[in-house]
Amino acid sequence: MDKKGFQIAFSWLFAIIVGGAILVLAVLVATKILGIGGAQVSAETQKSLEVIMNNIESVFETSLVTSFSLPRKTQIVGECYEEGPFGKQIIRVSQKNFGKWSKPISGASTSNRYVFLSNPAEGKIFYIFSKQFEFPFKVANLIYLTSASTNYCFVDAPPSIKEELTDLKRMDPKLNIWVDDCPQKSLKVCFGSSSCEINVDYEEGVVKKRGKKAHFVGDALMYGAIFSDKENYECQIKRLMARTKELAEIYMEKENIIASRGTCRGSLSPELQKIKEIASEVQSSEDLLKYKEVIEEIRRKNENSECPLW
Amino acid sequence: MKTRNAHSGKKGQMKIQQTAFMLIALTLFFALVGIFILGFSLSGLKEKANLIEQEKAMILVSKLANSPEFSCAKTFNNKVNCIDLDKVMALKERIEKYEGFWEIGNIEIIKIYPKQEGVCTKENYPNCGKIILKKEDEGIYTSNFVVLCRKDFFMGVPYDKCELGKVMISYTKK
Repeated sequence: MDKKGFQIAFSWLFAIIVGGAILVLAVLVATKILGIGGAQVSAETQKSLEVIMNNIESVFETSLVTSFSLPRKTQIVGECYEEGPFGKQIIRVSQKNFGKWSKPISGASTSNRYVFLSNPAEGKIFYIFSKQFEFPFKVANLIYLTSASTNYCFVDAPPSIKEELTDLKRMDPKLNIWVDDCPQKSLKVCFGSSSCEINVDYEEGVVKKRGKKAHFVGDALMYGAIFSDKENYECQIKRLMARTKELAEIYMEKENIIASRGTCRGSLSPELQKIKEIASEVQSSEDLLKYKEVIEEIRRKNENSECPLW
Repeated sequence: MKTRNAHSGKKGQMKIQQTAFMLIALTLFFALVGIFILGFSLSGLKEKANLIEQEKAMILVSKLANSPEFSCAKTFNNKVNCIDLDKVMALKERIEKYEGFWEIGNIEIIKIYPKQEGVCTKENYPNCGKIILKKEDEGIYTSNFVVLCRKDFFMGVPYDKCELGKVMISYTKK
C-alpha cells in the first residue's frame, strides 16, 4: 500500500519538475522575444525618425511642420558631442513595453543634423519643425522636436514670430504651439514679461528657462533655446560655429575660383576671414551677441556685391 | 505478488519514458517552430532595413542639393534643387574635412546638357563634364536631376550660367 502511494507521488513529482522546467524555459524565451520585438520597434522608429528629419531638413527652405505618432509611449533623447571637425549628435529612442522602458536604441551619430529638444521628449505624438540658421550665410536647417504632451503658448510675441507660428498652426491645427490664446495646461513663453516658465528678451537676444540663460542671434536660434535644454543648446552652438568656419573657407575658395575667370567688383575675403575668426572665438551662446552687428554688416556687403557669394 | 509488483513497476517506468520522449519531441518541435518564425521575421527586418536605407538615400540626394555646401542659395535666386558649381569646386579642395559628414559612399555631379567630357580639376574647370567629390567604394547609386549654376563672364561682365545636371550618391546594401 505504501509502495503504491510512493509510485503515484513519483509520477506527479516528475510531471511537476519537467512541467516547471518547460514553463520557465517558455517564459524566458517569450521575454527574450518580446525584448527583441521591443528593440526592433525602437530601431524601426529610430530609422523612420531619421528619414522624417532628412525629409524636413532637405526639401523646404522655410519653416515647415510635420508630426509623427507611435503606437507606444516613446522617449527620445538627443545627445550632443563637440568632438570631431563638426561635432555629432546621437538620437536615442526607447519605448514602453509592459510598463518597462526598452533598452534605448541609438541611431548612427550624425554630424550634419542639429536637433533641438528638451531631454527626454516623451509621448506618443511628436512634432518636428525646422528653420534655417544664417550667420550670415545659411549654415544649416535647425530641427526642433517637441512632444505633443507639452503645449507651448507664446504670449506677446513680436508680429513676425506670431505670423510664423500662426502659419505653422495652419499647416497642422493640432500642433502643440499656441499664440496668445493659451490652453489651461501649457508652458508659457513670454516676450517682455519675466513671470512665465520661459521668458524671452527678443531685443537683447536672451531666453531664460529654468533659471538658466541662453543667448541667441536670429529667430532660428531663439526657437532652439526655447525648445531645448541649455546643455544641448550650447553644444549645438559650438557645432554650428564649426560648420560656419568651414563654410567661410569654402566661400573664400569660391571667390578665388570666380576670380580666376573674371573680375567682380568688391572682394569679400577680409569679411570671410573675420567670420572665420568669429566662429573660432565663439565659446558660448553669450559670445554670439558681440558679433551681431558685424555679421549684419557682412550680410549687407554681400548683398550689394557685384558677385554675391551666398 | 512480487511478479505483479515488478510488472506494474516496469509499466510505470515505460509511462515515464514515454512522457519524457513526448516532452523532448514537443520541446524540439516548438524550438524548430521558434527558429523558423525568428528567421522569417529577421529576414523581413533586413528587407525593411534596406528599404529604409534606400529611402534615406533618395531623400539625401535632395538634402545634399539643398545643403549650404552645395546649394545655389540667394546667389542664383533661391532655386530649389540647384547646385552652385563654383562652391562645389571649392568644396572639392576641402572634401577630406567632410569625411563621414553626409554618411554616404560616393558623391558625383554630372553635366547632362550641354554634354561635356572629362573629370573636372582645378585646371580644366568649368570646361569639363563630371565632378567627383568622393569615390570610395562601389555601392548602389541613386540620383536626382538638378540645376548646375555658376558665375561666368561675357566681355568682362558677370552673369549667371545654369545648365542641366544630375547628382549621384551611393549607399551600401545591408
